[in-house]
Amino acid sequence: MKNAAGFLLWLLALVIAVAFALILPINGYLMNLLMQASTYAIAVLGMTVVLGYAGQINIAQAAFFGIGAYGVAIGTTTLGMAFFAALALGAVVALGFGIVLGGSTLKLGGHYLAMVTISFQEIVTLVLTNWIGVSHGPDGISNIPRPHLGFLALDQSRHYLALCLFFLFVTAGLVAWLKSSRLGLSMQAVRDNELAAGVAGIDTYRIKIIAFAASACLGGLGGGLFAGAFRYISPDQFAFDDSVVLLTMALLGGVDAAIGAVIGTALLILLPEWLRFLKQFYLAVYGLAVILIMVFMPQGIFGYFARLFRRAPDLPRGEVAPLTLGASAGTGRPILEISGLSKHFGGLRAVDEVDLAIESGSVHALIGPNGSGKTTTLNLLSGIYRPTAGRIRLGGRDVAGLAPHLLAAAGIGRTFQNIRLFHSLTAFENVLIGSFRVGSGEHDAQSRRERALAALDFVGMAARAPVLVSSLPYGHQRLVEIARALAANPTLLLLDEPAAGLNLTEKQNLVALLRRLRGHGLTILLIEHDMDLVEQISDRITVLNFGRRIADGTPAEVLRHPDVVAAYLGEVAEDVTA
Amino acid sequence: MAIILQLLFTGLGIGAVYALVALGFVLIYRATNVVNFAQGQFAMLGGYCMVITTVDLGLPYWLGVVISLVVMALFGALFNLGVYYPLRHRSFLPVVISTIGASILITNLVLAIYGPEPTTLPGMTDYPGISFGAVFLDAQYLVIIATTLALVILQYIFFEHTMVGKKMQAVSQDKEMASLLGINVTGMIMLTFTYSAVLGGIAGILVAPILFVSVGLGAQIALKAFAASIIGGFGDVPGAIVGGLLIGVAETLGAFYISVPYKDAFAFILLFAFLLIRPQGIFGEKIAQKA
Amino acid sequence: MSLLELSGLTAAYGAVAALSGLDLAVEEGEIVTLLGANGAGKSTTLRCISGLLPPTGGEIRFAGAAIAGLSAERVVRLGIAHVPEGRRIFPGLTVRENILLGASNRRIARAALRRDADEMFALFPDLARFADTLGWMLSGGQQQMVALARGLMARPRLLLLDEPSLGLAPLIVQQVFRIIARIRETGTTVLLVEQNARLALAIADRGYVLETGRLVVAGKPDALWNNEDVRAAYLGGKRLSEESGAR
Repeated sequence: MKNAAGFLLWLLALVIAVAFALILPINGYLMNLLMQASTYAIAVLGMTVVLGYAGQINIAQAAFFGIGAYGVAIGTTTLGMAFFAALALGAVVALGFGIVLGGSTLKLGGHYLAMVTISFQEIVTLVLTNWIGVSHGPDGISNIPRPHLGFLALDQSRHYLALCLFFLFVTAGLVAWLKSSRLGLSMQAVRDNELAAGVAGIDTYRIKIIAFAASACLGGLGGGLFAGAFRYISPDQFAFDDSVVLLTMALLGGVDAAIGAVIGTALLILLPEWLRFLKQFYLAVYGLAVILIMVFMPQGIFGYFARLFRRAPDLPRGEVAPLTLGASAGTGRPILEISGLSKHFGGLRAVDEVDLAIESGSVHALIGPNGSGKTTTLNLLSGIYRPTAGRIRLGGRDVAGLAPHLLAAAGIGRTFQNIRLFHSLTAFENVLIGSFRVGSGEHDAQSRRERALAALDFVGMAARAPVLVSSLPYGHQRLVEIARALAANPTLLLLDEPAAGLNLTEKQNLVALLRRLRGHGLTILLIEHDMDLVEQISDRITVLNFGRRIADGTPAEVLRHPDVVAAYLGEVAEDVTA
Repeated sequence: MAIILQLLFTGLGIGAVYALVALGFVLIYRATNVVNFAQGQFAMLGGYCMVITTVDLGLPYWLGVVISLVVMALFGALFNLGVYYPLRHRSFLPVVISTIGASILITNLVLAIYGPEPTTLPGMTDYPGISFGAVFLDAQYLVIIATTLALVILQYIFFEHTMVGKKMQAVSQDKEMASLLGINVTGMIMLTFTYSAVLGGIAGILVAPILFVSVGLGAQIALKAFAASIIGGFGDVPGAIVGGLLIGVAETLGAFYISVPYKDAFAFILLFAFLLIRPQGIFGEKIAQKA
Repeated sequence: MSLLELSGLTAAYGAVAALSGLDLAVEEGEIVTLLGANGAGKSTTLRCISGLLPPTGGEIRFAGAAIAGLSAERVVRLGIAHVPEGRRIFPGLTVRENILLGASNRRIARAALRRDADEMFALFPDLARFADTLGWMLSGGQQQMVALARGLMARPRLLLLDEPSLGLAPLIVQQVFRIIARIRETGTTVLLVEQNARLALAIADRGYVLETGRLVVAGKPDALWNNEDVRAAYLGGKRLSEESGAR
């Protein structure tokens, strides 16, 4: 319902804006400003996707903008293409560069991307300036034609502005819609917590490339329209400074909202006109503004106001369906078999030839003193580390060394010792991201949303679904994290110290929750320091010390095992004080 | 043969400047985990300080150098207080964007005050240089190489043989532990920014007589220095120096044998090649993922 | 007057309460140990004392002076050295450099600094051979020795030790504890957080047991060792439901 209302509102705004462009008397100067603003805004929307949604920096947006502009200029004048074909050409070339740049850099840390994009920006400027045979060099290209729409020639500026506004509205609508889509939520998950995103089944590298390439493509589209608007372009319009201007526009307006991009662009196009008294200082003021925004208003103008009236997310209505968990086939058979698993960090043997078998439908606890290799084992099972040696068989399939999202796809879900949620999203959105896993059993958007709500309900958090997770108390955050793992319908759930930091009541609720999960036939591997809890709910316990397995058996056997008692309470201290 | 030697000499000279800027950049990164995108502007400011003191005010060259370095030191401290310190507890992205903002601010402030016209600065000495057969060693290039060498040695002594140097290293390796030992972490970071600004300033003073002093000088040098530090192995001190020299030589050779207009592109081509083949750089450790 | 006195100490990590009203005292010359399971608040207590974590409430008095909320740099100048969990040796510095930096809280001449470091090499003879080895190349046991030596270089009146046995083989653990016992003989007071309850109680004069940020029981080592609550804190055996029923 809300989506439909939003769509109508957007359509109405589009019609009004286009009509105003066509009807209102706009003088040439204002016309130029409006055409500049609307084409820039499209490129800034690209920044919204890459920087706002996916959290990846791009300081080459002006280069992509320039590629799009030259695509139209060269396509229409030199190659004699139709305007829209040339526009598509420019956008596709920008997209291609985006894929290549992103693909080569996005596996590395963030500052690499910053430097590579700056370098790319410089190279594009160099090429545009010096490849005179194609780009006409510093003189630029003039007499760029404007398009025809069927019989209608858009030669007049007011017609062309209407076209630009149309593209802007479509782009802004798409970018706004993207935010709550599966792809957009995945981007935000990568931005908020890349590690958790991978473990939740998201191919983080692919998502980052998509975001970066989409941003480049929008840059190209905006640039292509810009070329038609001014009918003359030259390399100095697409330099490093302009990339910075595009970045500032995104940050000022509010980097993670489409409306923010439009606000930021409009302000920074109009501001220099209002701030004419600043004269040559106005770019310096841009720089200062960037610092001040980062220090005082990191969410930008729209982000700042959006906090005040946050709209509630659109939740599935009606009865919450009970959560179905794909009970593993044949209880009692081993679902996970680990043999000779080792992980060495330099000389440290964090995990040393560990064997472990987990029976389907059981709750298996992995315990041991601090530093005994428990969390490292979990990191090996969820793909965060690659094993040095050893085999991991899940349901008969060898999965050792797979990437986190592939292990998630194979059926492993997990939670973290220090909770890793997507902090800028709601509880519902966090859990919804879990349900995106291939194999969650849900194949369409509606059933995934229902499953997410069912998972929240299962842990008793349905009432808090629309709340931002960062504002939930700690105990509730733990439950949301478990719900996120459950929404993926895992065959094996790994829980890393789920009781840490919980008070007594919360611990009791956790025990009840774990019992219910076992009742549903879910297999659980649990790391926990609270021995009461372990004793109460585990079918079997494996004890690690110094990375090696020192005991394995039922709780009664293991907790009385002399080696275990010694590992926990200490060796006999014969001559220490002597 | 003589041509190659001549080009190597020139390349090492310009590469030494990149190395100095890269060094400042690596030191700040190691102390704060922040990539300072305004490092090149430090060099540009150093060049302008020299122009103002020696050309505009007509002060002696040595006095100009002293004043410029003092100004740069103060500027480094101010930069720390204004750009890094308020954001020190935030994640990487806001701080990087803030330093980018600072680079725009500095560039355009200079542009607004001094205008876009490039200015020239005379060399440190009137002595033209030394000839070895067909190879001519220009005096300014000799000064650059000698100064860089001296600075690298001084810095080595400072870090390896003084307690303050050790404390700075400790801060860059583990701030919390350093504070537990009673090391003044805030002060050490302040010192790092101050020193990096001075290094940048020296690079600017050295290179100003070769290139024109213009507002574009900062970005031009900074981009090469960034590339140098990645090629050398990100965060690695010897790597920054080797990377800087390598880029200097590569672009000088490239400009002579391949193309002059694309001179500035060779550094980036080298950079992309490294990112694809050896992203950890020459001296870098394999980039490890941590949970 | 006790050397260290905590009263009503509360602390939190963000919204998560870590300590809720802790009272504790350490007398000059004692070894006092803090026991409890993971997450009980032991390390948090040390972090509050040494200034890494400003407490949200309560008092910390050291030699009579209120020190709660002071920065770590200032606390260590007052004579409290904290050897944190995980050793935290500077990986890129040598053993000697790590040890020399331990005296950063004191104004001291270079010659005297060298002398103090040599004393440490006498106290930890094994380290002398590794004096010029970089920190990251050491084994866990060697790192723990360096961490202790570095802590002692501050000439502390009170030494805070967090899990010195963590991840060390039993034989090495015994060595470490022998050294801790020796440290006390030099007149340094020790507050020891330790998971290895047996060893900790073997060298301590008194112990406190924490559970979820609260004091459960305090007393002499023998009494604590035989106390059911202590065993339960580590190995379970006390039903959650029973405890809640008692409330």
